[in-house]
Amino acid sequence: MLAACSLFFAVLLTSALAAARPRAYIKKLKKSQYQLIADGKPMIVKGVCYSPVPVGANHEYDWWSDPNKPWMTDGKLMQEMGINTIRVYQPGPNPEAVRQVIRDLYANFGIRTILGNWLGFWEYPAPFYGDKAFQERFKKEVLDMVKAFKDEPGVLLWILGNENNYSCLGQVNPWSSDEIDKEPDPQKQKAMRFRIYYSFVNDIAKEIHKLDPNHPVALGNGELIGLEYAKESAPDVDLVACIIYRGKTFGNLFKSLKATFDKPILLAEFGADAYDAFLKKEDQNMQAFFLESQWRQIYDNLAKNPEGEGNCLGGAMFEWTDEWWKHNESDPEAWKVHDTGSNWSNGSYYFDIKAENNKNMNEEWFGITALSEETESGLNKRMPRKAYYVVREFWKNPKPLPKKKGKR
Amino acid sequence: MKKSNLLILVLSSTLLACGFSFAKEEAAADCKKQIEELKEFEGNCPCFRAVMDEYVRENKYNEFAAYLKTLTEKNKSVAPCANYYIALTRYRQLKYLEEQQLWDEYFNEGNAYREDLVSCAQAAIDATTPADSAQIYSRLALWQFHQDQQDAFAEESLIALTGALGEYAKSAKDYEPLREAADILSGYGEKSRSKELYRLYAQKVISPDSDTPDLERLAAGFFSQGNLGLAETIYDAYIERVIKAGPKEKALPVLTGLARQFSYQPDKPNDPLYAEKVFMKVEELGGKEVFDQELMYLRANNLEKAKDYAKAKDYFVQLTGFYPGSTYADEADFKTGVIFTYILRNAKEGEDYFKKLAKKEEADPWAISSLYHLGLLLQWQDDFEGAKKYYTALVEKAKDGFADTVALAKERLKEINERKPLEYNLDTFLDASLKEESGNFDMSKVETAVAPNPAKPESDVEISSSAYTTESGCMQVVLQYLWSGDLASETPPGDKPALRTKYPTPGTKVVFLVVTSPVGIIDRGIAIVDVR
Repeated sequence: MLAACSLFFAVLLTSALAAARPRAYIKKLKKSQYQLIADGKPMIVKGVCYSPVPVGANHEYDWWSDPNKPWMTDGKLMQEMGINTIRVYQPGPNPEAVRQVIRDLYANFGIRTILGNWLGFWEYPAPFYGDKAFQERFKKEVLDMVKAFKDEPGVLLWILGNENNYSCLGQVNPWSSDEIDKEPDPQKQKAMRFRIYYSFVNDIAKEIHKLDPNHPVALGNGELIGLEYAKESAPDVDLVACIIYRGKTFGNLFKSLKATFDKPILLAEFGADAYDAFLKKEDQNMQAFFLESQWRQIYDNLAKNPEGEGNCLGGAMFEWTDEWWKHNESDPEAWKVHDTGSNWSNGSYYFDIKAENNKNMNEEWFGITALSEETESGLNKRMPRKAYYVVREFWKNPKPLPKKKGKR
Repeated sequence: MKKSNLLILVLSSTLLACGFSFAKEEAAADCKKQIEELKEFEGNCPCFRAVMDEYVRENKYNEFAAYLKTLTEKNKSVAPCANYYIALTRYRQLKYLEEQQLWDEYFNEGNAYREDLVSCAQAAIDATTPADSAQIYSRLALWQFHQDQQDAFAEESLIALTGALGEYAKSAKDYEPLREAADILSGYGEKSRSKELYRLYAQKVISPDSDTPDLERLAAGFFSQGNLGLAETIYDAYIERVIKAGPKEKALPVLTGLARQFSYQPDKPNDPLYAEKVFMKVEELGGKEVFDQELMYLRANNLEKAKDYAKAKDYFVQLTGFYPGSTYADEADFKTGVIFTYILRNAKEGEDYFKKLAKKEEADPWAISSLYHLGLLLQWQDDFEGAKKYYTALVEKAKDGFADTVALAKERLKEINERKPLEYNLDTFLDASLKEESGNFDMSKVETAVAPNPAKPESDVEISSSAYTTESGCMQVVLQYLWSGDLASETPPGDKPALRTKYPTPGTKVVFLVVTSPVGIIDRGIAIVDVR
C-alpha cells in the first residue's frame, strides 16, 4: 500500500513538474553550454528558412492561404530529408491560415515553426526606432502574433528582427532621432542607435515572457555586430538568432559570441547559392559543398561536444525553394524569369568570386530545392538539389572528428 | 634552323625529359626499397617524400595511402612516418578534390579521408618526440587542416605546434622543418609566429664561423625565391656583421646596395619598409652626406610608394635643399606641393611649391601641372579671375605640348567663362580635402593602387580602389566612385571602383577619388602616377 502510494505521488509530482516546465526552453549546462529542450527532449534545430513564393509572384504573395497547400508537399520532402523546423520571417495576414500551416506541418510531419517579425525594418523612409509611437506600433504587432499562436504545439520559438542591427551603423535603412543628431561623434551616434534598438527588443522580449512563458525569445542579428551593446541593453532575450554568410565555415563565431554576449546561438540564416556567377551556370555541387561544411561546424559546436563551444542550438539554412522575384523585385515580368544576375559580393564564397565586379551571390538561387515552371497539383514542381541529399546524409551520420587523444 | 637540326633538338629534348622522368621513377623505386627494408624508425622519414611525389604526380592519393597502410602492417618501425604521410596525403587529396571539383569522391569519401588525416597525424605524434621532424610535420599538417576548417581545434593545435617547434629547435640538426613551418605560417598570415621561426632558423644556420659572403649568398638566395621575410632576417645579421667589421667606407656601399635592392620597383620583389630601415642605417653610419641626389630621390620615392607621404615629403624637401639643380628637383617640388595640399590638408604650404615651379621659364610637365593646380585651388575658392590667369598662362606656356593638362585647363576655363560650377567630382574631392569640417576624411577608408607605376606614355595604366565600409550583411551598400583629376581620355562611370587609361605625355599625374554611400562620403583617396 505504501509502495503504491509512493508511486502515485511520484507520478503526480513528475506530471506536475512536466506541466510546469515550458514547452520549449533553453537549458544552461556547465561551461556556458546550452541545449534547446522541446517537449521535454533535447532538440537540435535542423531547420530551413521557408518562403514558398511561386514562380511569377513576389514577396507579397500570401502563400499561407494558397489552396494548393505548398507546405504539405514541402513538409513531406522536408521530413524525408530530416528537417524538423521551418523558420518564417513573419506570419501571413490571416491568423487562421497561419495556424493551419503550423498545425499541418507539426501534425503530419513533426516539423515545428519558428515565427518572427521584421520589427518594421522595411518601413519607408526608415525604421524609426527612436520614435516611441513607432516602437509601440511594432511591439503591438509582435504581441498580437504571440497571443495568436503561443498555444500552437508546433511553435518552437520567436525571433525578433533579422539584420536590423545593420541599420544602427548607418549604411542600410539608416535612421536617427533628435538626440542622436545632436551628438557630433559618429561612433557615439552608432552606440546610441544600438542602445535604443536593443532596448526596444528587450522591452518586447520581457512582454513576451509575461504573455508566453512557454517559448524562448531570440534576438535576430546580422553577424555579431553590436552585440556588445545587447549585453547591456537586451539581457532578457533567451538566445541570439544570427544571420551569417561566411562561406565554408563560421570562423570563430561561437567563441566570439561567448566573449561578447554569452547566450546560446541559433544560426537563423546561412547557406550558399547554387549558381556559379563566373562560369554562368548552375552549380549544385558548390552549394552542397558549403552547406555540408557549415552543418559540420554547427554540429561541432552543439552542447556536450567537448571539443566545441557548446553554445549552438542548430540552424535554419537559407532556404527551402528558390525565389524568382528577388533579383529585380520591381518588375513583375522578371518574377517569371529565373534571373542569373547577382546583387552582392561575398569573397568567402570563393568559387565564383571572379565574376564581373566580384558579384557572386545569386539571390534567386539559394533554394535547396529548385522550382520548375512545370506545375504539379497546382504548385511549381520541386526539384531537390544536391545539397538536399548531401545534408540529408550528413544528418543521418553527422560524423564528429575523431576524439582527441592527448594534446593536438 | 635546318629541319634536321630541329628534329635533333626535339628528339634530344624528348629523350632528356624521358631520361629525367625515368631517373625520378628509378630513384623512387630505390626509395621504396629502402623504406621497406627499414630496420628502425628514423625521425626525419628519409625517402618517403620522393615516393609520395611519384604517386601524387599522377594523383594516386588512395594508392599511396593504401601502400603505406600495407607497409605499416608488414613493418612496424615505419609506422610513425607512414602515418604522417597518410595524413599529408589525405590533406592534399581533400584540397585536390575541392580544387578540381571532383565532388562525387569529395562527398562520398570526404569524411573517411578527414578521419584518416586526423587519426594518422595523431598516431604519428603519439609515436614520436618533438626532436623528430616527423612530429613537427604531423603537427603542421594537423594544424593546417583545422585552420582551413576553422574548427574548434585550430587554436589548440597551433599552440601545440608552436611548442613542439620550440622544442625541436633546441636539439635539431636539420633546420628545414623550422623554415618550412615558418613559410606555411607566414602564408596563413601568422606573421609574428613565422617571424620568430625565421629568427630561430637564422640563428641556427648562422653559426659564428659562417663567413659573411656565405651569409649574403644565403640571404640573396631567399630574396630571389621571393621569401622576403627570411631574407630580411638573414640580411639583418649580415648588415650587423658588415657594420661591425667596418670600416664605414666599405660598409656603406653594401648597405646602399641593399636599400636599393629592397626599394619599391614594379614587378620585382621589394619591401619599401625594409628598404627604409636600411636607409636609416645608412644615414646613421654615414650621415646625410652619403646620399647623392639619386639615392635621396630613391628614398623619397620609395616612401611615397609605400604611402608614407609625410616622411616622403620630408625627403623630397631635403633633396631639393641639398641638390637644387638635380634632375629630380622639379618632380620633388611638385610632389611636395601635392602632398602638402591634398594629403596633409596644408594648401598654403603646398601652393608655395606650385608657385616655385610655375615661375620657371621652361615648360616642363611639373611646371605646367603646377599652373593647373594653382588655378584649380583659386577656382575652388571662387577667385575666378586669379584662376583664369593661371589656366591661360598654362595654355600659353604649353604651346603644342602637354595635351592632357592643357585639356583640363581648357575645361576649367570653359566652366569659368560659362559661369558653370566646378566639375562635381573635383569639387567634392576638394571640399573633402581642404574644408576644415572634412577633417575626418583622412584616406584611411579608401585605398588606391596603380599598376604599372611608373607607366609609359601612351600605354595602359590601371588605377583601382577599395573602400572599407561597415558591415551590411546581404544588403549590399551601393557605392559611388567619384573620379577626377588626371584621368586623360577616360571618364569612368560612377559605379566603377577601377579605371584604365593612357597618358599621352610624361610627368606626375594626380588622380582624385571620393567614395560615397547613400548616406554620404565614406572617404577620399589619391593616386600619384609617374609617367616616364
